[in-house]
Amino acid sequence: MAKLWVVIKREYLERVRTKWFIITTVFGPVFFLVIMVLPGYLTVRGLEEAQVSNIRILDATGTGIGHRVADQIEAQRANNPLSKVPGRPLASSVPSVVEDLQPAKLVNAESVSTRLVMQKVAKGYLVLDSASLTSHKTRYAGSNASSLGEMDIIRAAVRGAFLSSRLQAAGIDPKRIDSLTSVKVEMSAERIDEKGRGGSGIVNAIFGFVIAFLLYMMIMLYGQNVMRGVLEEKMTRVAEVVMSSVKPDILLAGKVIGVGAVGLTQQLVWFGSSAAFITYGAVMAKAMGMPEMKNVTFPTVSPMLGGALILFFLLGYALYSAMFAAVGAMVGSQEEVQQAAQPVVMLLIASIILVQPILLNPTGKLAVTMSLIPFTAPIIMPLRMSAIQVPAAEIAGSLTGVGLTCWAAIWASARIYRVGLLMTGKRPNLKELARWIKYA
Amino acid sequence: MPDLSLDIRGISKRYAEHTAVNALSLAVPKGAVYGLLGPNGAGKTTTIRMILNIIVPDEGTITVLGRPSTEGAVTDRIGYLPEERGLYKKMQVRRALRFLAELKGIGARDADRRIDEWMERFSLKTTEKDWGLSKMDELSRGMQQKVQFIGALVHDPDLVILDEPFSGLDPINAQALKDTVVDLKRRGKTCVFSTHLMDNAERLCDSVCIIARGVKVLDGTVAGVKAEHGGNNVALSLAEGGAELVAKILADHKMVERVDDSNRFFEISLQRNADPQALLKRLVESGARVQRFELVQPSLHQIFLERVGAKGVEPGMSGHG
Repeated sequence: MAKLWVVIKREYLERVRTKWFIITTVFGPVFFLVIMVLPGYLTVRGLEEAQVSNIRILDATGTGIGHRVADQIEAQRANNPLSKVPGRPLASSVPSVVEDLQPAKLVNAESVSTRLVMQKVAKGYLVLDSASLTSHKTRYAGSNASSLGEMDIIRAAVRGAFLSSRLQAAGIDPKRIDSLTSVKVEMSAERIDEKGRGGSGIVNAIFGFVIAFLLYMMIMLYGQNVMRGVLEEKMTRVAEVVMSSVKPDILLAGKVIGVGAVGLTQQLVWFGSSAAFITYGAVMAKAMGMPEMKNVTFPTVSPMLGGALILFFLLGYALYSAMFAAVGAMVGSQEEVQQAAQPVVMLLIASIILVQPILLNPTGKLAVTMSLIPFTAPIIMPLRMSAIQVPAAEIAGSLTGVGLTCWAAIWASARIYRVGLLMTGKRPNLKELARWIKYA
Repeated sequence: MPDLSLDIRGISKRYAEHTAVNALSLAVPKGAVYGLLGPNGAGKTTTIRMILNIIVPDEGTITVLGRPSTEGAVTDRIGYLPEERGLYKKMQVRRALRFLAELKGIGARDADRRIDEWMERFSLKTTEKDWGLSKMDELSRGMQQKVQFIGALVHDPDLVILDEPFSGLDPINAQALKDTVVDLKRRGKTCVFSTHLMDNAERLCDSVCIIARGVKVLDGTVAGVKAEHGGNNVALSLAEGGAELVAKILADHKMVERVDDSNRFFEISLQRNADPQALLKRLVESGARVQRFELVQPSLHQIFLERVGAKGVEPGMSGHG
């Protein structure tokens, strides 16, 4: 046991001392923020900041509805609280230009407008003609046609314009129309589980996604770290010296535990800084001019969920790092190792590509099956558990399966490791591998 | 029976395609310098790995320093330098050595003191520069080899096992290694090394064992082995241009059994009934200028060639033992 400790100590300290570790630990959260939160934030912010500016409205209906559309667009902009923030694009929007035309001149006006858009004088143009009045069909063409947010605004404005013109036709006072038609709807979605109402659905989904992604990353990064460590010992031949002092099983165990401890250290730093960020983040967010997060309650992690998360992480990591270690012991060079590791990597990727469909339907057949298969369970089960209440029997079954598979993988890997470390030459095929396991 | 440092009885190791070691028995007395000789692929490394309990023999027993080799504690008293050497490239030298010492049960502080001693002895630590603080891959090859000796010796083992220790060594390190082996013997340690370089073995070893194709060919003290194979052996040196003149005489199998021709120097085994005097006479008559003509004991090299020969590595020659 003393030797196990010596091995763990080396594996841990040698990794923690590297610049790479320090950099990833410090900048890891920043990196996550960038790759996971930023796209979402930008999308939301893009929708919030979506504005229709500098478009031309070609109105050939002769009813003046084009001006109503322009008014609706302007009203929408004025209603957005961001339009009052100086410096934001919304505050400096160019109003729409309305052209009242004879229907015969529409074709010409369209080609002129097209040229203006091409010359970047205008962003786009909306066509309202007689067909628009009868069948509510309109056309828009512009450089921003693929912006969902902006198209939504124009659609809403046209709809509002038709609505108000109909109301007016029905004899309602134009002054009242605005107050009657401008209704702002906000809907918050809240999750209900066995224990009652808890947290918002979207926050739980994000939390589940973050957990699954973190587990995947940790298992992938640190599993491969174990693999490279094994390969290094094999290639530099240091393995033979070490194995003259310590049994290969102890060496393997020490490596897996030591590298795992590095991963846990990193997680602790990350979770610690995230907790600090959540506590003080609201203040910072406000200072940075981000909209306040209303009604966002961070999910509380029950001891049961927390314990299960740690257990799944440990078992998943042990399972995959044992398999990665076997791969490292099998191959003879850096070039070979990536290829040889593919089957193991595939198993992991299978988990992560299913995260989204499972998150959309965490009680479905796919979700249940994947959370019970030992190779995907370490990622999928925690994902489901953070999104919904998973029956205890399923959790127990999943844990048992992962535990047993983990045990079998460690047993087989230790044997491959024992033989492989001293082998040189070509990578074994499956038959030879079976013989290694048998005779080790 | 004398006090044995290493007692191997009837060990065998078979792989799917071949038998690496077959019913091998060895006895190495305490304090001896013991050479394990054999051509490449003879089973030397397999034997050594079995002694170190890195691989388990299919049959037979190994007793190391009076204890079964499978006992964990006994490996702490062995120092091992494998044939293929390497250390963690990115690790600081001192930390790597401390790790190896700690694996042998030496405390960190004790290890540091010993590492200092060895580093100074091998001039890896001088007043100007302490290479112990560098990373392994910043060291020259020669320095790395020294670090590896230290790794094998830092825990002051009672039994030192060196697998092909001279391969790849520069002359300075080869000398340092020889000095170290002599010093170990002086301090009562046992040293077993494998080699196919007979000159080194002849100069260093008290006893040797020659194996080929996994089977023991012969063993015993160097003096004993030589005496046993002593016979009609002649060491011959000729002046420039002599080789052509004597070629015919040396090829005469009525008189000469075999010749090891090193161009200027010949080691000749005569047929049992041949008279060395007659050979000398013919050599002189050939016109070659004889610089040295001496009746000698065969060298280990000669014995090795005679007993193992070029055929030793071919199939069907395992009947030597």
